[in-house]
Amino acid sequence: MASKLAIARLSKSFGDLEALRGISLTVERGEFISVVGPSGCGKTTFLRIVAGLEHASSGEVLLDGRVVRRPGTDRGFVFQNDSLLPWRTVLANAIIGREVAGSIGAADRKRTMELLKLVGLEGFEHYHPRQLSGGMRQRVNLARALAIDPEILLMDEPFAALDAQTREIMQTELLRIWERGKKTVLFVTHHIDEAVFLSDRVLVFARRPGRLQAEVKIPLPRPRTLDIKRTPEFVALVDRIWRMIEDDVRAAALYENA
Amino acid sequence: MSVTSESAKTVSPPESRPAEPVAAPQLGGMLRPRFFAAILSVAGGLVLWELISWFVVNNALFLAAPSQIAVATYHLAVTGELWKHIKISAEEFALGYAIASVLGIAIGFAMASGDTMKKALQPWVSGLNATPTIALAPLFILWLGIGIWSKVLVVIFFVLFGVAINTEAGLRTTSERLIEMLRSFGATPRQIFFKVSLPSAVPSILAGLKLGIGRGLVGVVIAEFFGSRAGLGRLISQSADAFNMPELFAGVVVLAIAGIVMTAGFGWLEKRLVPWTKD
Repeated sequence: MASKLAIARLSKSFGDLEALRGISLTVERGEFISVVGPSGCGKTTFLRIVAGLEHASSGEVLLDGRVVRRPGTDRGFVFQNDSLLPWRTVLANAIIGREVAGSIGAADRKRTMELLKLVGLEGFEHYHPRQLSGGMRQRVNLARALAIDPEILLMDEPFAALDAQTREIMQTELLRIWERGKKTVLFVTHHIDEAVFLSDRVLVFARRPGRLQAEVKIPLPRPRTLDIKRTPEFVALVDRIWRMIEDDVRAAALYENA
Repeated sequence: MSVTSESAKTVSPPESRPAEPVAAPQLGGMLRPRFFAAILSVAGGLVLWELISWFVVNNALFLAAPSQIAVATYHLAVTGELWKHIKISAEEFALGYAIASVLGIAIGFAMASGDTMKKALQPWVSGLNATPTIALAPLFILWLGIGIWSKVLVVIFFVLFGVAINTEAGLRTTSERLIEMLRSFGATPRQIFFKVSLPSAVPSILAGLKLGIGRGLVGVVIAEFFGSRAGLGRLISQSADAFNMPELFAGVVVLAIAGIVMTAGFGWLEKRLVPWTKD
């Protein structure tokens, strides 16, 4: 069977800056893939190209064998900041993708209500974003992406702005939801711990130029609970990835502080 | 500190607890103490004004006491003269304000629609906005006569540009993040406009309209100064000519009350239409 997502020799430059060089990879149906790397390794740019929000300078992205050129409802994007419309209720926010695709009916509303229940927001359908906590807003953000029933979920550091405990809760919640539907997921993060906990494979990016440095399989059994983070296998995997990018991270930190 | 899986399962996570829905403003909260402060401030000001009129100025040619103004207003109301002036001014204001609002929002939309439109309209908006409309008022009366339309035109000039500038700014400052979110679902420019840009511009459009109330009222009075048969501005200038301070102030007070009431009404409307800006 053909891969869900196939990316071939993808490169991207912003003027003189080479953001991505020659990224090639394939993702199978139902796989959970994370992308980690230091700041400036182009991981977010990479995700935005897959989303169609950004154009590649060369190379191509194939989703189910079709070339990706622009955004579309076959991909659901979960943003780092929740990007909720403040004047809309939770339900109206979550349903907006379907609204853009065409007129919405009772069936769409029902399905979106079910999704809100799935992400743990039952009873909050008619609240406004300002009445919700950061974690709850990210749940709406996730429900909004799921509501269009995308072929693949693209998640751009969705838990980065949350506090440490909420982040861990959201990680287990995400796994719970993913186990239900087995969507294909491409998850960008700078937390190695988070990437290892969630993923089947972790793609390690390097910077200047942004490129795929290594690919680490995560053979930890599923379903996973937070306990697994204290097993020696988990710690070893995190450590291995950390050593791959350590020098790069230090260089990036120096560069950014300069 | 790390969360164990046990506690994650049994203890409900802090972020899943709902924030209390923002309660509708309650009457009790409005009456005390902010409302009280407003009453006290106005009443105190009136008492001070009354005392100064009687004991410091004590000259009816220079200053009328609030009690004298109240009596004059009462007489004007009873004879029906006040209502005649209010009706004329209200018509001039309402027509001018309505036209300026529609035109101003339309011009704001046009300016936000593209760089060429913006370049074409900006010099006119900036130039006319800076033009002292008072200087043009006599000209408008020459053109349009001393009937209602010369006043309407002055009001339009006073209100229009603030509305246009605010509308344009509101549309232009739409959050890029929100636009991108909608774009990620494959939204067309038209959908982005109606689902994101327009709703997010509403607060600043309302702000422009709110500022327009005061400016429009000033416009009515100025226009009537330069030539009119009736209206609050006419009442004020007539009274000034006759050194009838109580009646002059009666006109001013009616205008002030109109401004306060309409602005408060707008505040109420804002709370209804754009509650998300009030946090």
